[in-house]
Amino acid sequence: MNLAAAIRERNAAELPSKRDEDWRWTDLRGLIRTAPEPSQPFTGQLPPGPFDALAEDWRVLINGGEATVDVPARTEAVEALRFVARGAGSHVASATIRVGANARLLLLESYESDGASLALASLTLALEPGAVVERIVLTADHEDAVSVSQAEVTLSPTAGFSQTLVAGGARRQRLETRVLHPGGSAELRLDGIYLLAGKRHSDQTSIVTHAGTDGLTVQLAKGVVRDQARGVFQGRIVVEEGADRTDARMGHHALILSDRAEVDAKPELEIYADDVACAHGNTVGALDEDALFYARQRGIPEDEARALLTEAFVGEVVDRIGHEGAREIVRAWVAQGLRD
Amino acid sequence: MAAVRQTVEHVQALEKYQHGFSTDIEQDFAPKGLNADIVRFISAKKDEPEWMLQWRLEAFERWLAMDEPSWAKVNFPRIDYQDSYYYAAPRAKAGPKSLDEVDPDILETYKKLGIPLREQEVLAGVEGAPRYAVDAVFDSVSVVTTFKKELAQVGVIFCSMSEAIREHPELVKQYLGSVVPVSDNYFACLNAAVFSDGSFVYVPPGVRCPMELSTYFRINAENSGQFERTLIIADKGAYVSYLEGCTAPMRDENQLHAAVVELVVLDDAEIKYSTVQNWYPGDPETGKGGIYNFVTKRADCRGDRSKVSWTQVETGSAITWKYPSCVLRGEGSSGEFYSIAITNGRQQADTGTKMIHLGANTRSRIISKGISAGKSSNTYRGLVSAHPKAKGARNFTQCDSLLIGKRCAAHTVPYIEARNGQAKFEHEATTTRLSEDQLFYVMQRGLSQEEAVQLLVNGFVKDVLQELPMEFAVEAQKLVAISLEGSVG
Repeated sequence: MNLAAAIRERNAAELPSKRDEDWRWTDLRGLIRTAPEPSQPFTGQLPPGPFDALAEDWRVLINGGEATVDVPARTEAVEALRFVARGAGSHVASATIRVGANARLLLLESYESDGASLALASLTLALEPGAVVERIVLTADHEDAVSVSQAEVTLSPTAGFSQTLVAGGARRQRLETRVLHPGGSAELRLDGIYLLAGKRHSDQTSIVTHAGTDGLTVQLAKGVVRDQARGVFQGRIVVEEGADRTDARMGHHALILSDRAEVDAKPELEIYADDVACAHGNTVGALDEDALFYARQRGIPEDEARALLTEAFVGEVVDRIGHEGAREIVRAWVAQGLRD
Repeated sequence: MAAVRQTVEHVQALEKYQHGFSTDIEQDFAPKGLNADIVRFISAKKDEPEWMLQWRLEAFERWLAMDEPSWAKVNFPRIDYQDSYYYAAPRAKAGPKSLDEVDPDILETYKKLGIPLREQEVLAGVEGAPRYAVDAVFDSVSVVTTFKKELAQVGVIFCSMSEAIREHPELVKQYLGSVVPVSDNYFACLNAAVFSDGSFVYVPPGVRCPMELSTYFRINAENSGQFERTLIIADKGAYVSYLEGCTAPMRDENQLHAAVVELVVLDDAEIKYSTVQNWYPGDPETGKGGIYNFVTKRADCRGDRSKVSWTQVETGSAITWKYPSCVLRGEGSSGEFYSIAITNGRQQADTGTKMIHLGANTRSRIISKGISAGKSSNTYRGLVSAHPKAKGARNFTQCDSLLIGKRCAAHTVPYIEARNGQAKFEHEATTTRLSEDQLFYVMQRGLSQEEAVQLLVNGFVKDVLQELPMEFAVEAQKLVAISLEGSVG
């Protein structure tokens, strides 16, 4: 049974658990004994969304619903898509996005909740040849919420897709991206940031399948966890037989700033072709004491030095965001997240 | 260059699998199949005390309730556990007292394999040549252990497991199953029920074992499985270096090898465990036959500042499922894992390590080099974890995979679990093929393609070969060359 059906039918026994290899660090079945009632329609006033300043128009899916975005060939569009959960119910939302040949889309997506909801958002994105999409995802989930987002991205040759996930965590939060990469000079960038405090959890999972020759994938995820928070990164790059000259690079780096925080990572390579260059790097640790010492010796107070170094650590991912306006919104969000 | 020339000569001189012969000797078998009576039969055959039989029967009960694991990236038809012999032993004349009483055919077998069972043969080389003591396990039993007397003088116990159960029950009772519990996993549990022999080593406090110890495993009988169990205890401040080698005849049916190795390391002690695994890999074209190698190896660094180093060269077996692990419990203890895993033909390997940091200031280092050629599949799977108490834990992991050919596969599946803010983990992995530029450069200097590949591969695995004891390093280097023969062009 898939997750959407399990939520719709309120079948808690069919939710993914730590016994499912892909969910080993994001156990839903162990957490949710009885699935919540379906969410009620919401008619009240919504607070402003994080990207209101950038988009003229936005689609809001409150407690479920469906959306379709069609970007015609050779046009440019900015779409804001808000997945909102109000109350403590469960629901499934979905969006289908098609981007025509040589069109450009800036997709600004947010996940917002205000209670112990159980929400799933399914996205399907299809990019035609030459289409270029930048997807920025910001989360503003409640600490009791369970929120899962599953995106399926299909690229055409010569298309370009870049994504930055910016996650603040929830009771359980998972941002999953699956990309079918046809090669043929299509370019993919999958980045992520997570800043977690309290007892929050956030999981960034990606599976990139290279099916054709000459594909490029770069991935960089960085996380900072404090208190008893838990960050999860799972990245799998699959290079199918014959997908020669694939170039794939993945990096995941996390800072643990307290004794009881946790980071779990599984960067995977699954390679069936020989003419490839694939690599991943993964580091987990505390702030570099030497750098801290250097900063303090220059007269910067310890707290400030820590904040500065942490901001610089995450800043590398922020700097890679292509759209300037979105980059500054994310930068402000990160600065806020590190101050709190 | 001498090493390369030697490697090339070696390849030319040998067939693909040089240990594929079988020895025709009279053997005792247990009836085919597996049930509680077979467990009793094995226990009775080995004259075991009642507590040992109970231990086995309990393990068998638990095994019946377990399911075969399926998470590894290997594919094979379901194993029929009833279609195998669980005990095969050379028919002995009531326990040979000396080497002269051992069946000459067996001695001949080991001679062919190049394993010195006669102490004078070890000594017969150049003066000052390194010596090593051997425990030779032939199918289900240990046939001979050399240098026992000399080792006993310094207090080192080196004998077969069956002998240890008889002679040193207190040590066996204390440590057996304390590192790999009976029901740890499916294959370890099966092993606990039907294990037949293996080596037992105890190094007393403060003793540095005067020579390398080694066990040589040979599967000979048809349709049989080998289930050996090795237990090594390094008491406080002790040191021992242990080598393990394995081969099997070429047969069309698959044979099961499910071993358990337990290492116990107390304060300031060190164990260095090296393996050259060269079980028959099956037919490279059809994939028929070969050994299923499902092994559980684990070291428990119980003492402070204790150290374990696993070095493995895996070239054989149709299927390898093996994760030598270190439980770093003692403060400041350290674990190392150096591995070369080569798959060719239709071999499948899923191998790696687990470094479990429990104590403060524990350190671990993983260097894994995987090479896949032919139509094989090679997976590195490893876990590095730091528990909340493992303050100051440090890990460095480097996993490199090399692909030779269009039809092979290489996977890297590392798991990293950091549960405290003062642990520092670094992991790097790469997957590439042999560099065209380097090949071109070397061939332009006059080397043939085969030689060039061997030279580059030797360079690729050099970091690990350096960690092997000298006599093994030479053998391993040759093995690397032989395993990759025919994979180029």
